[in-house]
Amino acid sequence: MDPEEVTLFERSLSDATGRATGADLDNALDALGWPDALVDDPRTAVSLLFGLQGASGATSSSIGRVMAHALGLADGSATVLPAIGGCVPPGSVAGRWLRVEGLVPGALVDRLSVLVVASTGGGGTTAIKVPTASLELHAVAGIDPDMGLVRVTGEVEAVGPGTDVVAGAWDAAVGLGRLAIAHQLVGASHAMLNLACDHARGRIQFDRPIASFQAVRHRLAETLVAIAMAEAMLETSWLDLTPDTSAMAKAVAGRQAKTTARHCQQVLAGIGFTVEHPFHRYVRRALVLDALFGTAASLTTTLGVELIDHRRLPPLLPL
Amino acid sequence: MTDVSGAARELAEFRTTLDAWLDDRAGALAAGFEGAGTLDQQMDQLSKVKRLAFDAGWMRSGWPERVGGTGGSTLTRAYLGEALTARDLVEPGLYSMTEVLAPTMIDYATPELAATMVPALLRGDETWCQGFSEPDTGSNLAALACRAEHTDGGWRVTGQKVWTSLAQYAQRCVLLTRSGTPESAHRGITALFVDMDSPGITVRPIGTMHGSPEFSELFFDGVVVPFDRTLGEEGGGWAVAMDLLPFERSTSLWHRAAFLHRRLQELLEAAPPGALDPTRLGEVTQLLYAFRARSRATQHRMAEGGRLGPETSIDKVLLATAEQAVFDLVADALVAKVTVGDDPVSGRWRTEYLYSRAASIYGGSAEIQRNIIARRLLDLGNDR
Repeated sequence: MDPEEVTLFERSLSDATGRATGADLDNALDALGWPDALVDDPRTAVSLLFGLQGASGATSSSIGRVMAHALGLADGSATVLPAIGGCVPPGSVAGRWLRVEGLVPGALVDRLSVLVVASTGGGGTTAIKVPTASLELHAVAGIDPDMGLVRVTGEVEAVGPGTDVVAGAWDAAVGLGRLAIAHQLVGASHAMLNLACDHARGRIQFDRPIASFQAVRHRLAETLVAIAMAEAMLETSWLDLTPDTSAMAKAVAGRQAKTTARHCQQVLAGIGFTVEHPFHRYVRRALVLDALFGTAASLTTTLGVELIDHRRLPPLLPL
Repeated sequence: MTDVSGAARELAEFRTTLDAWLDDRAGALAAGFEGAGTLDQQMDQLSKVKRLAFDAGWMRSGWPERVGGTGGSTLTRAYLGEALTARDLVEPGLYSMTEVLAPTMIDYATPELAATMVPALLRGDETWCQGFSEPDTGSNLAALACRAEHTDGGWRVTGQKVWTSLAQYAQRCVLLTRSGTPESAHRGITALFVDMDSPGITVRPIGTMHGSPEFSELFFDGVVVPFDRTLGEEGGGWAVAMDLLPFERSTSLWHRAAFLHRRLQELLEAAPPGALDPTRLGEVTQLLYAFRARSRATQHRMAEGGRLGPETSIDKVLLATAEQAVFDLVADALVAKVTVGDDPVSGRWRTEYLYSRAASIYGGSAEIQRNIIARRLLDLGNDR
């Protein structure tokens, strides 16, 4: 896409994520040609949509479609996500039986009669199509009921051998999923920072806006630095697309979202603690997003353990 | 992705040929001392490396032809500094002074002056310093008081500067002076290019915590500076300063990222078993890679002709955070070397640990950077 097309596409997506969520947003995305954009220009499609979903709080099936795309399934299907906190394939095959434990966006369950379950067993990873109706589905309320996640479990008889997935494709799918969720975290963080800055400019105490107090200004400046750090790491990840950098981008995005939530909560103070203000929705969403595909904490420890084992820093993206 | 731009090709070719030259001339380029060396040794090494790199053409790349350069993308300049730093051939802070002062001369000196002076800086024949801060004017730069009087024979400068890096080595100084009334604030400042051997200049190096007296006090007592050494307009010194400061937060930081990457790798190799906490190590690595990613984007923006401004304050905050995090980790994991080691390598870790404490102070303190971010990037208005 050329810059003008990107701007137009972004405007359309912004409009869609601003007024629709769930299955409605999925339909709007189909109408806008987002699935084609995902194939033609994954960086633009993923970064724009997920950033906007983060900012507006809208949900869609897109993360499942991003994963399917990375697994090489170009038929509009969608995959089940790993269970919370993890990054292993949600399926495991033992004999004739396929055991499934994962998550899906709620909109996906209504939309597709067949789900793709990436599964281990027999030495490689296979993508197995499973009728949605054969799985046990439990709507997740948790800390963020608005997110509409559905827990998927079950033991089903594996129908056919499944499609072999090229070696490394699951890692690539997790990598792309991590980038998508990192963009969503960054979008949510910008939204939190905007809410806090608006409040700081408008709230008058001691005859002056609280934005004029250095203690407040520096918290908000610190927040922008944290967000910029995640954005920079994301840009690098899109350029080198290695599992190392996408894991780092996700970890940095998750950590900065929590930093953002902490600073903005403090600036928003009382009003930000109520459900009369939208802030709490972002706090909830950020916690769940941080946990998808591995929390910042776990990804960071994993990186450190690997570094100590190999005594070698990850490769650098050249200038 | 497949469309490799001209600049990217140029950079790739520069990288390959420079790396080969650095390998080939490794013996001639290497420092003749172990560990950090003294400041005198570091300065000699810097001059040697710049001269060799200039004469072979590398140090001229990315600079305009009218100042002795060979033109081309500024990314080549950034890569040269990265490569020299990553091979431990130069101390990045000393090397980067060129990246701060040469652009100012190119933009604000008369073309003749720039053409005469800049090549000597690039080749390492000269050292320049930057006279900005004063004893009563640190963060509040616009209140500077060093007086420049307009006389028939030129500017007559009287006053004091402090924290002037490398002044004791410098042949020239980019100096901010008060040419207007004391109350004229940022409107009454004029930038001058001063010969350091002018009568009336006294330099007193200041001992520092990290053991290297890299900055000095400067005293000006009726120093005469010709009018053709005015940088920019009379009374236009604030613009010179505002255009210079982002350079302190761009290419020099890219070089610093290369330095920190080398040290973190060396820490991984040197840390005794069990000395590194994996979670802290992971976080420091992420911080360093994110800082480098930010600095890389700034380099590309600059190469594409973008104007650097207040957003570089984010780069500076990230540098200070990353540098201190790396050396906090060093101080814990290599505690014996840092605290009681007396060999040259221990001395270098100690010096660099102590120097990292200044990262949130020099070049605009952490507080000043956050003020800039709050006012200019977040539109939070004034702080009073």
